[in-house]
Amino acid sequence: MLALQLLVNGLVTGCALGVVAISFGLIYATTKLFHVAHAGVYTLSGYLAWSLVGHGVPAIGAMVVAMAAAALLGGLIQGVLYAELERRRATHLVVLIASLGTLAVMQNIIAAVYTPNILQFPLPWSSRMVSLGAVRLTWTQILTVVLCLSAFAGIMWFSHRTILGKQIRAVASNPFLAEITRLRPQRIYVTVVAIGSAVVALPGILVPLDLGLQPYSGITPLLTATIAMIAGGIGSIGGSFLVAVGIAVLQNMSLLIMPGEWSIGVTFGIFIIFMLFRPTGLFKGR
Amino acid sequence: MVLRLSGVAAGYGPKTVVSDVSFTLEPGQILAFLGHNGAGKTTTLKSIMGLLPLRSGSVAFDGQVLGRMSVADRIAMGLRLLPEGRGIFPDLTVEENIDVVAARNVEAGAMFGIADVYKLFPVMDERRATRAGSMSGGQQQMLAMSLAMLGTPRCLMLDEPSIGLAPNLVERMFEQVHDVCKSHAMTAVLVEQNVAAAMKIADRVIIMNNGAIVFDGLPDEARASDFWSYF
Repeated sequence: MLALQLLVNGLVTGCALGVVAISFGLIYATTKLFHVAHAGVYTLSGYLAWSLVGHGVPAIGAMVVAMAAAALLGGLIQGVLYAELERRRATHLVVLIASLGTLAVMQNIIAAVYTPNILQFPLPWSSRMVSLGAVRLTWTQILTVVLCLSAFAGIMWFSHRTILGKQIRAVASNPFLAEITRLRPQRIYVTVVAIGSAVVALPGILVPLDLGLQPYSGITPLLTATIAMIAGGIGSIGGSFLVAVGIAVLQNMSLLIMPGEWSIGVTFGIFIIFMLFRPTGLFKGR
Repeated sequence: MVLRLSGVAAGYGPKTVVSDVSFTLEPGQILAFLGHNGAGKTTTLKSIMGLLPLRSGSVAFDGQVLGRMSVADRIAMGLRLLPEGRGIFPDLTVEENIDVVAARNVEAGAMFGIADVYKLFPVMDERRATRAGSMSGGQQQMLAMSLAMLGTPRCLMLDEPSIGLAPNLVERMFEQVHDVCKSHAMTAVLVEQNVAAAMKIADRVIIMNNGAIVFDGLPDEARASDFWSYF
């Protein structure tokens, strides 16, 4: 029953990864900026929640506060740093380097404030096991599936059913027209990075609940999420979520036939296959 | 008068594209703004819209000199630009296109609300759920027109609206522009390569060459003159 357990573990990891992918994809499709510092926001939100829990704040409260702080941080990165660079006509490459710099600063501040070692959440319930037939899951894993699927559904609903969501898609679709129809693209950019940051705080807290916190742990999920975003079709929320789940399942299932250190290789293998046969992604622009 | 340009000069980088452009438009007037490619028509529209800073001269709308007023504020005053070939949000449905623009531009008592543009372009009503980018060129242009007209447009500037459209569609579209201008006292600036179609509905013709106005007069005067020598 190892295969079934691996499949379920893959689905759980995939849900968390999917949320990283849709949040990054939402930002990328709208601002066209490769917001690498998103990995820093992801990591920092976990540490913030850890600190709050350590000070006796209930887990749910810590999560809400960390999400709000992540939104604020993301909004600041876009509104102060990226917008200022764009105003000075910086190319997207310059913004990417600024983003990488921001990520490095955030990671090192985290390492300096908290230690570079792995930190565990002091929440005993989080690792308690539940048996569902032949499959054993931790409470964290169950919580991850429930919250990440809700976030996915929420983002879908938000971007297709609310006027702000439609405005964000309009800016992504034609920024010039957005400018001359008073949609105020610059404000939309700040809003979308803030929303993406709040959303990424969810896996940013849930994943370390299981695996512990590490200052430099944000890069791998972001890289995998980027692959899911591209392979799923840029601008397609459903596509990137689905591909993220697929990648995580294949990574886990590959453990049956090859050693674990190959899982990153599996990810990139999937990516290369996609780029060869479906370069615009699974569901371009849907 | 609605729009007044006095000695407008504008350009990109070291290059001055238009210099000393002056004209005044009255409510309901339709201007055929002609000239070959690179003559400076689009540059003039962009500087009216505030998308390009003026090198010298001034633009006044409704008697108010616009100076460094933001693009958004100019739109709020009733200036509208239908940009060449990119006047829609292709990834959104027709209804979403109209909803997002209406949400920011249609206020109480506006000249054109959502229902009005659907009435003006019934095809859009039938196509509400269609992804805008998947429609035909003519339908996309109708949607672009709908978006530009939402709210209270007082001066609509159309940049090559007929590009890629079948001749009968162009004629119908221009008739519609004409009707709206006359019934709502809306001013239109029509930048066109399709000179014949544009002249048919225009009250006035301005021809630009090399960034300067070389002809300014009535369509009949233009026809009577050695018209093509201006291009």
